[in-house]
Amino acid sequence: MNTTRRALLSATLLAFALPGASFAEDQILRFATWNTDPESIAINQAIATKFEEANPGVKVQIELYGDGFDDKLTAAMGAGDAPDVMYMWNYPAYKDALMPMDDLIARDVAELDLDDIPAGLMNISKIDGATYAMPVGFTTQVVFYNKDMFTAAGVAEPAAGWTWADLRAAAAKFRNADTKTYGFAVDAKPDPFDFEQFFWSNGTKYISDDGKTLDGYMNSPEAAEVLDMFGDMIKTEEAVALNIGDDTPGSALFKAGQIAMFQSAMWSKTGIDESGINYGVAPLPAFGDKPVHSVIGASGISISKDTKNADLAWAFVKFFSTPEAVEMRTNDLPIRTSVADKLGLATDPIYKPFFDMLAVSNRETNAFLKNPNWGQIQANLALAIEATMVDQGNAKTHLDEAVAASARFLN
Amino acid sequence: MVRTLTYGALIFLSALFIAPFLWTLLTAVKSEAELVAWPPVFWPENWRWENFAESWAKQPFGTYLWNSTTVVVLSTIGQVFSSSLVAFGFARFRFRGRDPLFILLLATMMIPWDVKMIPLYMEFNLFGWINTLKPLIIPAWFGEAFFIFLLRQYTMTIPMEIDEAARMDGANAWQLYWRIHLPLMVPGLVLVGTFHFMNAWNDYLGPLIFLNDQTKYTLPLGLGLFQGRHDVDNIAIAAITVILCVPPLVLFFFVQRYIMDNALGSSVKG
Amino acid sequence: MTDARRISSRRRPGLAPWLFISPWILGFFLFTLGPMVFSLIMSLHDWPVVGERKFIWFDNYTTMLTQDPRFWESLGITVKFALIFVPLNIALSFLLAVLLNVKVRGTALFRTAFYLPSIISGVALVMIWKWIYSKDYGLLNYGLSLLGVEGPNWLGDPHWSIIAIIIASLWGLGGTMLILLAGLQSIPKELYEAARVSGVPAWAQTVYITIPMLSPMLLFTFITSLISAFQQLTIALLLTKGGPLNSTYFFAMYIYDNAFKFHDMGYAAAMSWVMFLIILTLSLLVLKYSAAWVHYEGEAKGGGNG
Repeated sequence: MNTTRRALLSATLLAFALPGASFAEDQILRFATWNTDPESIAINQAIATKFEEANPGVKVQIELYGDGFDDKLTAAMGAGDAPDVMYMWNYPAYKDALMPMDDLIARDVAELDLDDIPAGLMNISKIDGATYAMPVGFTTQVVFYNKDMFTAAGVAEPAAGWTWADLRAAAAKFRNADTKTYGFAVDAKPDPFDFEQFFWSNGTKYISDDGKTLDGYMNSPEAAEVLDMFGDMIKTEEAVALNIGDDTPGSALFKAGQIAMFQSAMWSKTGIDESGINYGVAPLPAFGDKPVHSVIGASGISISKDTKNADLAWAFVKFFSTPEAVEMRTNDLPIRTSVADKLGLATDPIYKPFFDMLAVSNRETNAFLKNPNWGQIQANLALAIEATMVDQGNAKTHLDEAVAASARFLN
Repeated sequence: MVRTLTYGALIFLSALFIAPFLWTLLTAVKSEAELVAWPPVFWPENWRWENFAESWAKQPFGTYLWNSTTVVVLSTIGQVFSSSLVAFGFARFRFRGRDPLFILLLATMMIPWDVKMIPLYMEFNLFGWINTLKPLIIPAWFGEAFFIFLLRQYTMTIPMEIDEAARMDGANAWQLYWRIHLPLMVPGLVLVGTFHFMNAWNDYLGPLIFLNDQTKYTLPLGLGLFQGRHDVDNIAIAAITVILCVPPLVLFFFVQRYIMDNALGSSVKG
Repeated sequence: MTDARRISSRRRPGLAPWLFISPWILGFFLFTLGPMVFSLIMSLHDWPVVGERKFIWFDNYTTMLTQDPRFWESLGITVKFALIFVPLNIALSFLLAVLLNVKVRGTALFRTAFYLPSIISGVALVMIWKWIYSKDYGLLNYGLSLLGVEGPNWLGDPHWSIIAIIIASLWGLGGTMLILLAGLQSIPKELYEAARVSGVPAWAQTVYITIPMLSPMLLFTFITSLISAFQQLTIALLLTKGGPLNSTYFFAMYIYDNAFKFHDMGYAAAMSWVMFLIILTLSLLVLKYSAAWVHYEGEAKGGGNG
């Protein structure tokens, strides 16, 4: 290699060695996301850009995994090539590849202002006492309802403290075979993670807290009651069944005015706003006088255990949790109470039910945190739910089958 | 009479085969409301051609197009060349170990993708090929079992007299391959090229696993991003699908007569 | 081996054949052997995606065969699918190829029409079929209603769902059809001429000329259909997600779930090896008995063809 080339090579190597050297390549931080809608993608991009502005020489490489998020992440982690930071919610599955953040949080506790974040949200990623993510947004579950349809049918709007009996009575009034309208929609293939909230609200749960017993929980009378109620709603046509052969999403039906009430969360809100429907939001209905308990869907941002840019990654995670960034995330609810207050969310009639649900939903832990084999058990449970919806009843039989089939995963 | 029946059957079957595609086209030009309307709207009121431009603009499809084209063109050339080479080797020579090796070749077709995926990922990562287009192009230059098998079968329908005549004229193995068999194999080669083109053009899993950032994405990945967990952008999917189908269709329409080449029939004397 | 026609064996082949097949051999070592061996090793371990890996000998295999009902269920569904799909695939492709072989005007257009479905892939293909199969809004039931028949809930009824998958898979037979068509077209016309002149009826021409001459290609489509039937994943994954009620839960899907949902790569690898061995055995059987019905023009067996 001649002298000029050697000089050039040394210069380049030197440039890499000197941190922050102006002619060095940008330091790249890989950030994996699961969003597919343009709004969320734009928000991620905006936050990343702001971070780049505050940190010259850094480039955030946003990787869109979309609906293939788990596939892609599994493959990358399995090969030891995980991105530096990523959105995360399935901590049990991935925790061995994530960096515990407790030391970092303790070190920067003042900067993070943890009092501003509800404790329940900080707990979403705690397994065996280690924290694996900073929360970035959350949603609870509510019922959206079409105000115009209610007025036209002369039905009273849902009020706080309403029950499933109230909902069913209202739903029955909307059924119209000619226009194919219904009062409500029941999903035959719901996300079991979210669905557990109905078990909680009826005083039971999927699995015992120590993760060792299913019998008496998953197939308890209260559990069967929940499933039978939904199955019955399909039978009496109070609700249309979703995902039995047709995967038109409930949101599409609600936006087209085909259903009067739609049980969902923040992720549907933007679409509903765009559709122009005049809507209201109500908290989840209760089972008689039992206390309601919503599932908290919180997403966090985690750092890969093997990242080569640990400091930069943590800086990014911290940035994502600043009030400034939190405020930019309009696609779900802010994790910081200060931001919520600033935006007046706790009093806004559309947002208030979400926060009301958050306030009462701190008691229970999600099933997947309790048993490492939950994935396989859940597959059996999902089958039982689907079977009950297809049968429009018969919950106990199906749940018993699920419990029996899952026995070998309980060791 | 036979002709009319044939004609009738062809038209009927074609309609069956085309109908779903037509449905996609109609969906691509509908409005959102018309998608979920009841009774179902088959013929949209206004043909919203702007849906195509709008859907195209929702993601950097121009970049995707460039990446897709690069991958497809380079890998197809490699595939056709290498597969025909290997097929000739298996079809025209007798050598020790040929049959077991051929069985091995067949066996590799049976390996499910999920199992190769992660080890392959690790290997490509070692080479530094992840997040480049290389994993999608380079393996094609080593031939693929399916195409090798196909071309071998095809080669074996070519009578030995042709080889013998060429050998009499003093041709060596390479010349036999390059000058005699390749031209005779044109229908098979076009088939292989077309098939590989389709596979590479529509490949979703490969790019999903091996590419990380958007600047490297291929068209099917972009299409896949319209399918989210909670919301599905049906119109964009339909529009982009229609656009995606155009190049393969055009390609096929023009090359199909080469598949139908009848030159071989006339070169054999009964 | 003293047959005068076997010219290529008269001169010992030497290095030449190896040079020709070297690209594949290299590729095999680079891209196939490594992953295969690795997956075999994985199958002997308790191998989660991330975390500790434990060597457990053949436990994965024994669990699969003795304790896992879902293994047998999914295998059964896959076999059922293959039994129906493979013969239909070949028969229909053959039929279409024969139809297209007749000289009518516009064959180019018809060929394109039949091949069109194979051009559409994955996500898009599934979107299309969902619209076709939708119970209330779908094209198929609409068409049936015009004939006065009420269509079933194709994707929601466990009895019909597998038929739905079969039809959707068959729709992509354009590729197989093309292969057979290319084969048909390379059958020398002189053979049919000679037969017709000798007064051989059309059906006999098909049985004694067409099928034997086409048999190498038929063998090809048989084996490849078999393989793809056993590996059926994409359509079921996207169209029915294995439902309803696991009625279309194919073997390949169970492997996929084990790898990507349950993160049990060792078990998934073991299942893949079982699938591999099944397909391999079946294909070898087909190959072994193929000598009885497959005829190669390019491997003359002592005088004449046929």
